[in-house]
Amino acid sequence: MAETPGDNSIQTRSVGDAAIIYASDYLNKLSGERIERECRRQFDSGRRALIINFRDTELVNSIGVSILVGLIDAAEQNTARLIFSDVNSHTANLFEMLGLTRHVSVAANEDEALSWISAGDAVA
Amino acid sequence: MNQPRILSRINQDEFFGRDAEVRDIVRQSSAFPDARTLVVMTTPDAGSSELLRQAYDQLFRRRGELVPIHFAFRRSDGTAVETAKRFFHTLLQQFVAYRRVNPALCKETLTFHDLLEVALPGDYELITNLIDGFHREQAVEKDLIDFCLSLPNRLLAEGRTVYPLIDCTKIGPFREDMVSGQHLLTELSQAELPFVVASLRRQANKLIHGAGDREWEANATLRVDHLSESSAQALLESLARRYGIELNQTTRDLIVQQLNASPLFITEFMRAARSTQTSLTSYLACQRLYVDELLGGSIKRHFDRILQTIVPAAQTNRTLLGVLYESAMSDTGRASLFAWKERLGLAAPEFEHVIDALHIYELVNSTAAFIEVNSQSHVWMDYLHAHYRVEVETEPRAKVVAMTLLEALKRAPQTMNQKYRREAAVGLPRLLPQFNCQSVPASLFHYDRFAAAYKGEDAAAIDEGLDAETDLIQLPQVIQTAACAFYAANMEGDRDRCVVAHAFDSAKYTDENQVVWVVAEIESKLEASRELTEDWCDRLASFARESGFARYRIWLIAPEGFSQPAAELLREREAFGSSRQQVQLIAARLRAETKVEKPKADEYEMIMPMGDDTELIAASTVEKIARRVNFKPEAVNQIKTALVEACINAAEHSLSPDRKIYQRFVVEDDRLVVIVASRGVLPARLSAENGQGVNGGQNGGKGRRGWGLKLIKTLMDEVEFEHVDDGTQLKMTKYIR
Repeated sequence: MAETPGDNSIQTRSVGDAAIIYASDYLNKLSGERIERECRRQFDSGRRALIINFRDTELVNSIGVSILVGLIDAAEQNTARLIFSDVNSHTANLFEMLGLTRHVSVAANEDEALSWISAGDAVA
Repeated sequence: MNQPRILSRINQDEFFGRDAEVRDIVRQSSAFPDARTLVVMTTPDAGSSELLRQAYDQLFRRRGELVPIHFAFRRSDGTAVETAKRFFHTLLQQFVAYRRVNPALCKETLTFHDLLEVALPGDYELITNLIDGFHREQAVEKDLIDFCLSLPNRLLAEGRTVYPLIDCTKIGPFREDMVSGQHLLTELSQAELPFVVASLRRQANKLIHGAGDREWEANATLRVDHLSESSAQALLESLARRYGIELNQTTRDLIVQQLNASPLFITEFMRAARSTQTSLTSYLACQRLYVDELLGGSIKRHFDRILQTIVPAAQTNRTLLGVLYESAMSDTGRASLFAWKERLGLAAPEFEHVIDALHIYELVNSTAAFIEVNSQSHVWMDYLHAHYRVEVETEPRAKVVAMTLLEALKRAPQTMNQKYRREAAVGLPRLLPQFNCQSVPASLFHYDRFAAAYKGEDAAAIDEGLDAETDLIQLPQVIQTAACAFYAANMEGDRDRCVVAHAFDSAKYTDENQVVWVVAEIESKLEASRELTEDWCDRLASFARESGFARYRIWLIAPEGFSQPAAELLREREAFGSSRQQVQLIAARLRAETKVEKPKADEYEMIMPMGDDTELIAASTVEKIARRVNFKPEAVNQIKTALVEACINAAEHSLSPDRKIYQRFVVEDDRLVVIVASRGVLPARLSAENGQGVNGGQNGGKGRRGWGLKLIKTLMDEVEFEHVDDGTQLKMTKYIR
């Protein structure tokens, strides 16, 4: 389970077949695009299970959310699994409000996300 | 205790209704070393000359750093060089008086030699040099004028700063009359001193901008109109006491109404009462004195002087009187310029002079095509009427006196009735501008609904009920109000009771949003009947059509509301109808809403640049404020997110010229109001989004952008998106729960 810094300091790590991408404290256009680039890189390299971990994320704006929506589309197109984890309650409410939770699974933590991937029941 | 008068002609405690104006003029002197110019724009007969003299006296007594100088142009001023010489002498004399702390020197007749005798030793050399210069420049007239008018500048160069108060209200109306005034004001503006200039309001622009390439800018203006009713009453009572004239409240009020609260006419009228020992205890006594003043006293002299200044030739003067009278009596109250020119038989330049002068003295209102006699002034109209009969119709004077007195007596009760009705009116011209896009319960505009819900309820229950109503009417933003009578002669009546208000349905200034509210207070002791209501609806609708109003809204106000059939008619016509009680409730609610906008102690302001994640600074700030007022953590996060979205919206969409976001955080007892504003334009898409819910989109969470406003509306309790003059403003409210 090697910790690997991606482009522009985004943190990622691999656990088995899954890649875990760590979102920064503020999910806005810039940090959202970094996540998006990393996700696409992972898809291009054949990865089919991604977890975006929001443990550090305190604030999210609508541009950041719109980028996440784009990622959900991209995951569908690549028949990959995408799971959000460690989302704080305020951000979870926002995702709910904006309808994201209808299209992506939200796990309480990484372990739960990984277990869903191993069980193959994550919704892609 | 009264201070001794210096230049003023009225004791300070008898100079009513102008305290604020005197303060403004006195305060202006402290603007130095900034060269601030204050222009006092005055209505004729409003007493602005005395205002400047009163200010001078106060400045003299205050012993400030700047030496006050008062100079008044006179009607009798001769040539430009004579005026310049008088200015030089006056200024030097007042300078010496101030430096010697001897106000009596201001009014004595002193030669240059006398001035040198009394000057302070430290000023002696300076004054000697100035007087020598004055004598040296006598040979060339232009040089002498320049030398005299540049005296403030020369004193400034020697470290003595003056504060000139220049009274231009008596300058003649013609271009050549204004040359000296324009020259002096240009010199003063170049001296970079603070100074005050008083001018008739319709002449001020010509004085400021009329000196070709030497025009200057006023930094501030002070508008002086006739007195308020209460100040005019106080003046009248004070003069009555001083002159020992008996007066009662009824006659006092009549005189104030009839003389248009003009301090000049009131003072002259009371002087006439003193000289004739007239007790003013009845309408008859008042009107007798008034008619005497009109036909042979100070009022006659006042208007005679103006008309003779404008048209000195007796025959043309009479013709002018005839044209003025006939225009005033015509159905529309106005006539074309062409018709005037034909009647007066004057050459074009002379004719233009006459019209300009009549306009400056506010005897007429002239536009490019029409001339309208100013019928607002009762005194002017009475003068015109009486003197037309005497001088043009050549009726026997005794008959004119009798007829004028009879007319004045018959009119007196009507004049007072108008006053009482005005005082009893709900004050539409003040109420409508307060609408300002605020929302109020719809029942306040529908008498039948209001009556059904609240008739017989006490005030607290009505307030509670209105607070709970969810059917709200968003009022328009009223841009301008005017009496309907100003639009159409057939709408003549109480000007405060029938009003037209130009407005926009929201603060978005587009053709579609443009609307005109036509509002009338109608009289009915009981609930207004269908017939009366229909009559008014027809009348106002016809007025609106004839005035070319594309979209209009009729609002009728009847003291006791409307009968059921009348209410049905209002609904059919899509008109609003309210009782006086409803209007009072509307006014109270608008006042309450307005209070939210007032600056309070718990108010924070922040201006930050757009971009570079500066919204995080805003979010951090609002977080601290929200925590201080005990919002729950979840609510704090919601406010932060809403503010972040508002900042992003402002940065992304406003095409802001200064790239700045203006934020205010207002802490109220039960809420936090966050206002985010930016300069620039509002994209149509954003405007259209306003009002949609967060789940209103088609994509159910998979749309890519445009969530900002929806999110804000979901996170905050109240959101208002408004156009302001130069940009947009988002007001978001979160209640503390």
